[in-house]
Amino acid sequence: MDSPELATMPLPVLEPIKGVKKAPLEEYFTSGHRTCQGCESALVMKLMIKAAGPRTVVLGSTGCMYVANTTYYSTPWVVPWMHTQLGSSGSAAVGTAAGYRALMRKGKIKKEPINVISFCGDIGGADMGLSAISAALQHVDYNHLILLYDNESAANTDIQATGSTPYGAVTTFSPTGPAKRIFHTRWKKNTAAMLAAGHPECRYVATVCASYAVDFMNRVRRALTIGGPTFIHSFDPCPKGWDYDPMLSHELGELAVLTGIWPLFEVEDHTLRLYGKSKAIAEGRQKRLPVRDYLLKQGRFAHFTEDDIDYFQAKIDDMWTQWLIPGVLPFAAEVLNDTPPA
Amino acid sequence: MMPAFTKGNEAIAESAIRAGLRAYFGYPVTPQSELPEYLARRLPERGGVFLQAESEIAAINMVYGAGARVMISTSGPGFSLMQEGLSYLVGAEVPCVVVDMMRGGPGLGNIAPAQGDYFQATKSAGHGDGRLLVLAPWSVQEACDLTRVAFDLADRYRNPVAILGDGLLGQMMEPVVLPAPVEPARDVAWATTGAGSGPARVITSLDLEPEALEARNRRLQEKYRRAQQEVRWEGYRLDDADVAVVAYGISARIARTAVDRARDEGVAAGLVRPITLFPFPSQAVRDVASRVRIVLVTELSAGQMVEDVRLAADGRVPVRFYGRFGGMVSTPPEILDQIEQAASEVRAA
Repeated sequence: MDSPELATMPLPVLEPIKGVKKAPLEEYFTSGHRTCQGCESALVMKLMIKAAGPRTVVLGSTGCMYVANTTYYSTPWVVPWMHTQLGSSGSAAVGTAAGYRALMRKGKIKKEPINVISFCGDIGGADMGLSAISAALQHVDYNHLILLYDNESAANTDIQATGSTPYGAVTTFSPTGPAKRIFHTRWKKNTAAMLAAGHPECRYVATVCASYAVDFMNRVRRALTIGGPTFIHSFDPCPKGWDYDPMLSHELGELAVLTGIWPLFEVEDHTLRLYGKSKAIAEGRQKRLPVRDYLLKQGRFAHFTEDDIDYFQAKIDDMWTQWLIPGVLPFAAEVLNDTPPA
Repeated sequence: MMPAFTKGNEAIAESAIRAGLRAYFGYPVTPQSELPEYLARRLPERGGVFLQAESEIAAINMVYGAGARVMISTSGPGFSLMQEGLSYLVGAEVPCVVVDMMRGGPGLGNIAPAQGDYFQATKSAGHGDGRLLVLAPWSVQEACDLTRVAFDLADRYRNPVAILGDGLLGQMMEPVVLPAPVEPARDVAWATTGAGSGPARVITSLDLEPEALEARNRRLQEKYRRAQQEVRWEGYRLDDADVAVVAYGISARIARTAVDRARDEGVAAGLVRPITLFPFPSQAVRDVASRVRIVLVTELSAGQMVEDVRLAADGRVPVRFYGRFGGMVSTPPEILDQIEQAASEVRAA
């Protein structure tokens, strides 16, 4: 904090939700959106703002959750929202939070907690906007949350690959064909852990999945109440982009966690915690399901051979058995055992 | 060869492959995404490289320094992001082809056809004094043909060449005769192709000494003067015209219908269609302006090319403007109405 005044910038009081029956009934993301049937990202928006409450300004960088929610003179947002450039979720969050802080400091508006939430898709957040998010997480004077809703493709523009698209998935930019059976050979970016590890002053980073709605909302509440810039990475099954029956969205979110593909963790003031089913997996209380159960429910992996599935499984096994922090940090433990010469 | 019914974006992509495209760097943005999608499917089959960038800024910088025939494509918002990279390409004299399928703006605007990027494409390549050579097709066939021209011009002038289309041209389907594939003979003695026995090649646009940078700029300006010989334009029913409509790209397509209808009604109208927007067919416009009594410019913008037309006409005749924008597309009756207004204006004078 650069002045005593800033230390007193008000933060909201948002108690953890003790169960689904205790969740607020009020909706601030209502009718009027044009998302697809089974869209998990729409649920993410709904839960995000339900957890944050009405004193919230939502900023959305270009992506399906901006376009589908604000087209043709209609919007589901009850709270104020603002559209921002595709790669600008970080910058827009800082600018807005700085603006509110200045207005409160000068006494032009009442000093009260106002949540600033800036959301971005995976191509906006994990690709083009990554540097802006990184900078935003360094500006510790400003209170805001950046939420990355990750449906693993550029779903707004016809399902193109992104840095968050999983290995081998078919997209319109990574078709399977005679020249290349596996076009997309990049492994998915480990965005949340990268941002947590790279920004030690950022007080809260978490991964979430809306299939676990109460856990999801409580992470949003923690991010908004802890102070300073925070980041949440949400894993959002997408029926259109992943090519599956829309009724399976919730199940695929669960399967991603249960197969170990999507670890649920939070880093709060430098303390890392796996939570939910991921914690159970790490502690051996929950057996990881085979990735096959997850992959073969989706058309985007329909071209996978047994070898491809085995490769994918081996990479996930590595995450849980070889990584220094299972599911989070992909360094080999050898570094810790390194003994410098006497 | 039998024409194939082809979408504008895909026709450009296939034509690029047949012009010797070796690498494409892309990023999704409507209404051009079919172009990279086609290349993702087809370019690897022909031994080329399709690589997805993490942003348009990355895409334009991926083509920087490429000795092979390379292309990128985008629409307005992405074209804006590419401007700095284009300036580097121009400064370092590195060729590439960039396709801009214009959409409604400003800001995110919408995904409907527009021609609001004219200034951005023709007036400078990003910052500094550089220029893009700019081609504006009005049909899918011409988009296909000009793609090859674009690669040739890029190589000849070692300068980025833009194909300025719009959402309508990119999305519509028309019969197309695709050109036969060529293996272009190219002089890439400037390209950084790896360590060899010769002197190291340097690609840069940095000249800290003002004298050196001025010399580089003089060379560029001389190149643009030479490029005047590449001017392309088309005239239609101009011989006895009183009213000359000037329009490019899809606007010209609409204007041609309006000109025909005006003729049916006894109004002597004609059409000037610039095909190269830079270099602009100034002499042609000037000549026409000397013969007709009034000029009407129509664009899908608030009025951008009209400035070049006014400069070219140089006060010889009144120059009127009619534009639709924000994704709205003018119709032949609208243009006809404007032609009639222009004609009555000169009759009254």
